[in-house]
Amino acid sequence: MADNKGVMIFVEVIDGKLTNIAQELLGAGRKLANDLSEELSALIVGSGVANIAPEAIAYGADKIYVVDAPLLKDYRTDAYVAVVEKVVKQVNPRILLLGQTTIGRDLAPRAACRLITGAILDCIALDIDTATKQLLITKPVYGGNARAVYSMETLPQVATVRAKAMTALVPDSSRKGQVVIVDAGLDPAAIKTNVLQKVVAETTGIKLEDASVVVTGGRGIGGPEGFKQLEELAKVLKGAVGATRPPCDAGWAPDTIQIGLTGKIVSPYVYIAVAVSGASQHMAGCSGSKNIIAINRDAEAAIFKEARFGVVGDWKKIIPAFEAKVKELQSK
Amino acid sequence: MLMTRNYFGFIPGYALFWGVFVIALLLFAYRIRQLLQYMFLGQKETGYNSWGKWITTTFAYVFSQLCQLKNFRFKKDRAPLGHALMAWGFFVFVLFYFFFFILAEGFGLAGLEKTNFFYYFAWVMDFMAVLIIIGAGWGLIRRFIIRPARLKGGQTIEALIILLSVFTHPFAFLFNQATVIAMGEAPAGLGHTLLPPFSSWLSHLFTGSALTVIQNWHIAFFWTDWLTVLLVLVYIPYSRYLHVIASIFNGIFEPRLPKGALKPIDLEHAEFLGIPTIDKLTWKQNLDLYACVVCGNCQEQCPAYITGKPLNPKKVIQDLKQQLLKAGPELVKAKAKGEPAPQNINVTLAGKVILEDEIWACTTCGACDTTCPVWVKHIDKIVDLRRNLVEQSILPETAKATLQSIERRGHPWRGTTLNRTDWAKGMNIKTLAEDPKVDILYWVGCTEALDERGIKIAQSFAKLMQQAGVNFGILGTEESCCGDPARRLGDEMTYQAQAQKNIEVLKGYNVKKIVTGCPHCYNTIKNEYPQFEGNFEVIHHTELIGDLLKQGKIKIGKGDYGSITFHDPCYLGRHNDIYRQPREILKELTCTKMVEMEKNRKRAFCCGGGGGRLWLEERIGQRISENRIDQVIKTKAQLVATACPYCLQMFEDAIKTKQAQDTVKVKDIAELIAESSAK
Amino acid sequence: MNMIVCIKQVLDPEAPLSSFKIDPATNTMVPVTSVPFVISPFDEQAVEAALKIKDAKGGKITVISLGVNLLRDVVKKPLSLGADELILLEDPAFIGGDSWSTAYALAAAIKKVGQFDLIFCGRQAADSDSGQVGACIAEILGIPQVSVAKKVEAIDGKVKVDKVTTDGYEVVEVPTPALITVSNELGEVRFATFKGTMASKKKEPIIWKPADIGAEPAKIGAAGRRIKTRKLFQPVRDSKCEIIGGETDEDKAANLAKKLVEVKLI
Repeated sequence: MADNKGVMIFVEVIDGKLTNIAQELLGAGRKLANDLSEELSALIVGSGVANIAPEAIAYGADKIYVVDAPLLKDYRTDAYVAVVEKVVKQVNPRILLLGQTTIGRDLAPRAACRLITGAILDCIALDIDTATKQLLITKPVYGGNARAVYSMETLPQVATVRAKAMTALVPDSSRKGQVVIVDAGLDPAAIKTNVLQKVVAETTGIKLEDASVVVTGGRGIGGPEGFKQLEELAKVLKGAVGATRPPCDAGWAPDTIQIGLTGKIVSPYVYIAVAVSGASQHMAGCSGSKNIIAINRDAEAAIFKEARFGVVGDWKKIIPAFEAKVKELQSK
Repeated sequence: MLMTRNYFGFIPGYALFWGVFVIALLLFAYRIRQLLQYMFLGQKETGYNSWGKWITTTFAYVFSQLCQLKNFRFKKDRAPLGHALMAWGFFVFVLFYFFFFILAEGFGLAGLEKTNFFYYFAWVMDFMAVLIIIGAGWGLIRRFIIRPARLKGGQTIEALIILLSVFTHPFAFLFNQATVIAMGEAPAGLGHTLLPPFSSWLSHLFTGSALTVIQNWHIAFFWTDWLTVLLVLVYIPYSRYLHVIASIFNGIFEPRLPKGALKPIDLEHAEFLGIPTIDKLTWKQNLDLYACVVCGNCQEQCPAYITGKPLNPKKVIQDLKQQLLKAGPELVKAKAKGEPAPQNINVTLAGKVILEDEIWACTTCGACDTTCPVWVKHIDKIVDLRRNLVEQSILPETAKATLQSIERRGHPWRGTTLNRTDWAKGMNIKTLAEDPKVDILYWVGCTEALDERGIKIAQSFAKLMQQAGVNFGILGTEESCCGDPARRLGDEMTYQAQAQKNIEVLKGYNVKKIVTGCPHCYNTIKNEYPQFEGNFEVIHHTELIGDLLKQGKIKIGKGDYGSITFHDPCYLGRHNDIYRQPREILKELTCTKMVEMEKNRKRAFCCGGGGGRLWLEERIGQRISENRIDQVIKTKAQLVATACPYCLQMFEDAIKTKQAQDTVKVKDIAELIAESSAK
Repeated sequence: MNMIVCIKQVLDPEAPLSSFKIDPATNTMVPVTSVPFVISPFDEQAVEAALKIKDAKGGKITVISLGVNLLRDVVKKPLSLGADELILLEDPAFIGGDSWSTAYALAAAIKKVGQFDLIFCGRQAADSDSGQVGACIAEILGIPQVSVAKKVEAIDGKVKVDKVTTDGYEVVEVPTPALITVSNELGEVRFATFKGTMASKKKEPIIWKPADIGAEPAKIGAAGRRIKTRKLFQPVRDSKCEIIGGETDEDKAANLAKKLVEVKLI
């Protein structure tokens, strides 16, 4: 075990492109590898993914392991776990990081179990304990009511990381790295999982319950036009629009987006409450939100008690200006 | 001239008289037997009947017609007077027919007609007949020509037959009397100079006719009269005339239960919950169905109906009655064979006979039960239907979430950010765990402890008690939902678990006296906990505040609120008869004028939050709370005071939705007094 | 169809934030009377998934839970909903574990139960939020797994699962026996019926100790942990709202945007 060295990133590729989370992981991995003065490697698994290697190097990896096989086209637990097991046993990294994604949350615990080590899922911070060279992993627990810092003695130390928790490096295409092709060595008979169909949800935007950003309008929005404005903002933030009960009752917004005691329960990462007073019936549906941002004309509104950031003012002026500024910052 | 002594061809009068009478009685008895059979398909009933009830029901309510007259309002509804006239007429007629038809004619006690008793009775009857004609004529005009909203859909053949029979029968009677007078028989021949005016006036029609002609007329009118009487007798059990019998028994057998209480289910031994099918009603609930006379008073008072929801209490009772009459024959057959009734006939009530939207629309405000002249209980059936739906897990999503929250967390306020003691922070209020030696326990209630708006009531009331030096304590985290929303949403299991848990805690601290600001907690602990051996003295905060004001322990300064109106919370007013105390307190707030809404006290209009509806969507029709706020605004009051955290919340919401914040405000009485006394 | 559902008793995740108290000495959450214990909500969904299959195909549902002081009113809930048997791994030796040592004990118990076609777990527990026990059980038992299911159908020796993905769902098929972790997208869970509750009152759970399931003492509970909790704390923020200022509303809006980007919220 003592010869476990380096940080390995399990890189996800979608439509032939490095995913955002993979870029962020490479950024975080680079930093950890530097702290440890060890190597950062990336593991790319899939079918027709070998050409991604240079991009991964540009984002910070020193060494790329590519396992490219038609059998690996779809993510299937049994196939992927076998591949990860094979590569990890061959490379012996100290740390293995994955994204907290559909794949990561399924693959990480099972692979860790097979490798006789532990894993921590959905982390938001990673540090190195300089004394023990152990990875310190911070993750929210109790539904966001508390945080825990974990570490483990077993190697490799496996963790999945929440999207947007880490920062990607600015890609540097001049970076040099080594690419190692590893044979998948899979027995098709041993793969028992079958992906029959992939269904992309029909919703125009993101499903309210799943959205990591929710923009909610309250009674103060005053009419259906206001909700169109909120929708635009939500689109810019890649989020969804919600509403408190009065706008739904008044028919300004569809019933399906009502958040609260008598509606949907959401717990997005960012919850922007626009002209929402913060009545407990409404808060019932969104108090699990990690960060509440309140925009309200009434400085005494209860919503400010729940909010992390607040703006006191007229939403009709604030929302367009806010949207414009966000667009400007995003384009940078 | 006794008709029964005559021969009609070869048929003796006696035979004819008794013959038709017996036929009528047989037809009557046949139907009554059938109805009783259906009725006793029902389940056992507990806690009914006392001898006092026989007296009070028959005399204090039925003979006095108070059952009807309680709904009389000179400007709004004069129909009860019409009914009272008809009913009194009916009673007097029954006596008259008993003495002067059955005894005198049937049993040949002809001497009865030769007495002054007959003379005076004839006078009474003379006026009664006219009053009935007026009452019934008015009824006919009202129902079939004016058609008030209450009688919408009530223009049936049955109603026409009833009203026509009531209307025409006195004519037969008067003409019968007139011919007697014209023949010079009693009451004419008794030596009195003044004869019953109407019949004697009619008798002039026969002046100058030959005696035999008058006799023939008399024969015709006598038999018409008698046959009309018998037709009515027969029609009674076949129509809603039935109420003349059923309602009296319905009053007598009214369950002995505090008004606001629902009947418990013995969960250990129950084989079903609520009323899955018509044969699972109790016999008394079936009697309710027979008693209903489709007067529509309940419909007229029902907040759900008024605001355009599919619920109509009258229709619920009538639909159940139709199902009982429809399924009755098969059910009786099946019962005799000891077989289960066929399912296609004994259909599920909830969802089939009474639709889910009707069942969930009820706020259990009690307006229907209170106004009903014939002791019909609507809430118990609606809750029973809910109980059955809950057992099948068919309930609105938000109701499910609420019930699960009560069951798991002991409160209905899912997602609240408050703890039960947060409102009391910095107020130096002790819990019983810290000091059980208090004079009175303040039962805060979930809404006053866990709702942002509600806690202001708790804080105000606690401050008042502290000012007055009341030695009180709270249960803090040991308090749990009283169970009212669970019970009224039909989840008896969760309710009983809550009740038992709370009673155990209360008994553990040897609590004797409880004050609460929530009428729902008040009603539940006071009227329903005794069902589970939880007997405590419970008062509402309006009662305590009233006493403290009288004793001078709270001083209130002059508060100028403009004009104030008071909204009676259903569970304080209708269900517990507390109307006076809150008004007395409000009057103490000098500088203020009290105005009443048109619907006040026992006719008060619900806020829409009772019966667990506070936690349900209100998607159909106008929101009840907004309708009530419209009523408030109509009084031009600047402030509506109430004494219930549910009402407060419903109104806060309604006022905001109507954007009427500048027009009217809503406050709890405790808040008003606390503000005023702080000045 | 023999089904096993693993459930966990947790502190009510919906309790107000202020009612959670942490003991810094032991890095554990201190139970407060005002916060009740409940079945972890995702585990309730797991029970629901099993019940749905039982409704459609019949079968037997065995529920397993692990811990100490398991409140009977709480853990017997699945019995009132229609589960057939409740096994409790109730022993101090079982507790204090991490995902792996917990999965080890549960897998040992499942092996002892013997016959099973499907195992259901919640996608994650509402307290630790670790989300790994299901995958670890599947690995120990050597059976396929499908994570984060929103619909499960059993068809002749196979199970078809709608698995939630970021942009929709995938329909995945695996042969039984298999393990499925269930997510809230499955929909509302059913309501306990009165009959079910009455029947469940009469059923007593089966209690197994470590020796009963042949578990190695070094691999269960705290002893078997691979993960060490260094610290448990409550993030300081929440009640304090930072009001973003500015000359005009437009300025405030721009400042807010800058701030949110700065703290990486958007």
